[in-house]
Amino acid sequence: MERVECRWCGLQNEPGAASCTTCGAPLDLRDLVTDSGWREAPRLRDLTEFRFSASVVQVEGELVPVADIALAQGDAVYFEHHVMLWKDERTPVSAMPTQGGMRRILGGMPFVLTLAHGPGRVAFSRDAPGELVVLPLHPGMELDAREHAFLLASHTIGYSFVRIQGLANVLHGGNGMYLDRFVTTSAPGLLVLHGYGDVFERRLAPGEKIMVEPGAFLYKDASVAMQAVQMPVKTGLLRRGLYLAEMTGPGRVGIQSMYVHHHAE
Amino acid sequence: MNPGAPGGPGVPPGYGVPEGYVVCHYCRTPHPPAGPSCPSCGAALDLRTAVSRSGWLKQPPIRDLARIQIGRSRIQIEGTQVPVADVALDGEEWIYFSHHVLLWVEPGVRLSNTSLAGAWNRVLAGMPLVMLEARGPGHVALSDNHAGDLVALPLAPGQQVWTREHRFLTATGNVSYTWEPTGIWYTTGSGDDRETHYPLGQFGDRFTAHAAPGLVLLHSPGNTFLRDLAPGETILVQPGALLYRDLSVGAHLHLEHPYGAAGMSWRSSFSQRTIWLRLIGPGRVAVTSVFGHTSSLRITGQSPATTQQW
Repeated sequence: MERVECRWCGLQNEPGAASCTTCGAPLDLRDLVTDSGWREAPRLRDLTEFRFSASVVQVEGELVPVADIALAQGDAVYFEHHVMLWKDERTPVSAMPTQGGMRRILGGMPFVLTLAHGPGRVAFSRDAPGELVVLPLHPGMELDAREHAFLLASHTIGYSFVRIQGLANVLHGGNGMYLDRFVTTSAPGLLVLHGYGDVFERRLAPGEKIMVEPGAFLYKDASVAMQAVQMPVKTGLLRRGLYLAEMTGPGRVGIQSMYVHHHAE
Repeated sequence: MNPGAPGGPGVPPGYGVPEGYVVCHYCRTPHPPAGPSCPSCGAALDLRTAVSRSGWLKQPPIRDLARIQIGRSRIQIEGTQVPVADVALDGEEWIYFSHHVLLWVEPGVRLSNTSLAGAWNRVLAGMPLVMLEARGPGHVALSDNHAGDLVALPLAPGQQVWTREHRFLTATGNVSYTWEPTGIWYTTGSGDDRETHYPLGQFGDRFTAHAAPGLVLLHSPGNTFLRDLAPGETILVQPGALLYRDLSVGAHLHLEHPYGAAGMSWRSSFSQRTIWLRLIGPGRVAVTSVFGHTSSLRITGQSPATTQQW
């Protein structure tokens, strides 16, 4: 029998599988693509399981989904400590310092990430309605995510952050001062984001542009350029003009349909 | 709602409906009996209508990727938790909306400002002062940033609808928009502590289609329920729950005081009152299951209201 390709991550799955073993996307549903070309991130079914390395992730719930991970010996995931929902008492955790400590503190980003090591169980939730966006990263990939969007990443993924360039982008971009950057070198890895509301992805051709509400930006390939652009309209009697994020391909862009949460932070 | 329109208040079933057409339960627009969803409002047509024992018709959420046709333009509803209205504008057709619901736009779509009358009052009431216009051709997508449903209200020429403030997402350019004080308020406290509350909002929105059919898109922050009130029929609802109503439906405050429990002081008993919005038919009303709560302080004054002391 023919193997089944996952339309979200591209992995070949065993015939008859209901969901992708690498990203959890349902394999028995058609790809949902809007007339304007956005692809909906797959809604992961309650209790869906998928794997990375020798560990297993189970998704629990649908409105505010939880990622419940059974970490195998030798595996680890890192995360911002406040997204931990529960853990087994014996699951070891350690601190993972990041570079640029003071600048990160000034930017409102966590100075220290936390690592959970296998064997053991630990579960994560961003405590807001939305969906988990599972992004298996192949070797040699670079992906940028908005700050405070990432839920967890496997230890094989390198983490850094890039400062958003340009004063206009910082002041009006709505994305804060930094983007989280996730890089794989020789080994694959698993990155899980939490998208607020519904999540849509679009693959831009080289030079292709789309204007996005800055607060809605969720992730992009590092190859996609992002620039805050002032639109020729006002938003109030005395208020400044409207800024949108101009995304220029090539590469993927992910957006979320609910973003007030970020402005309130 | 135009009283003479199909499905309007007092209009017999089937009146004004073209031969072979059916009237959508949810938007009251006639359309050919084909397709999985209503082409005018996107409501699923292959679901059994769900009417509660108390007579409320549950508005089903618009299905993911359902399409609504309006003029030569088309709206696709995308997502289920925080749904997006993705508008494919044809030619010179246009829509207007508040800037904070703009999710994304194609570079070729022309954005410009629409000024609104009564600027200072709108600022005081926390309403958007400036609307944006988006003119085709091209795509523009809007999202309210809150969980809930999108509710599409197609308007036939001459048709009007009243909607609660801050529920408006967008409307087609051929629908005119005015706003008016709700006239529904109450005060608590006295002297420097006196505070005026507007449980229905200080202003309500009124939309009117003129020469051509138009469309208003609302965001309902919870589940949505509809009810067609007969002439003189009344229903009490939480003021903040009202989503929209026909203009033929009357509305005023209603204060209900429970029978005082033994041992409860007069003052405590007074604070147990419920502040209702009393709706009087004929016409359609729609409520949403997410609403703000009214004050529990003693009321010192109010707009015209009926009372019930049990």
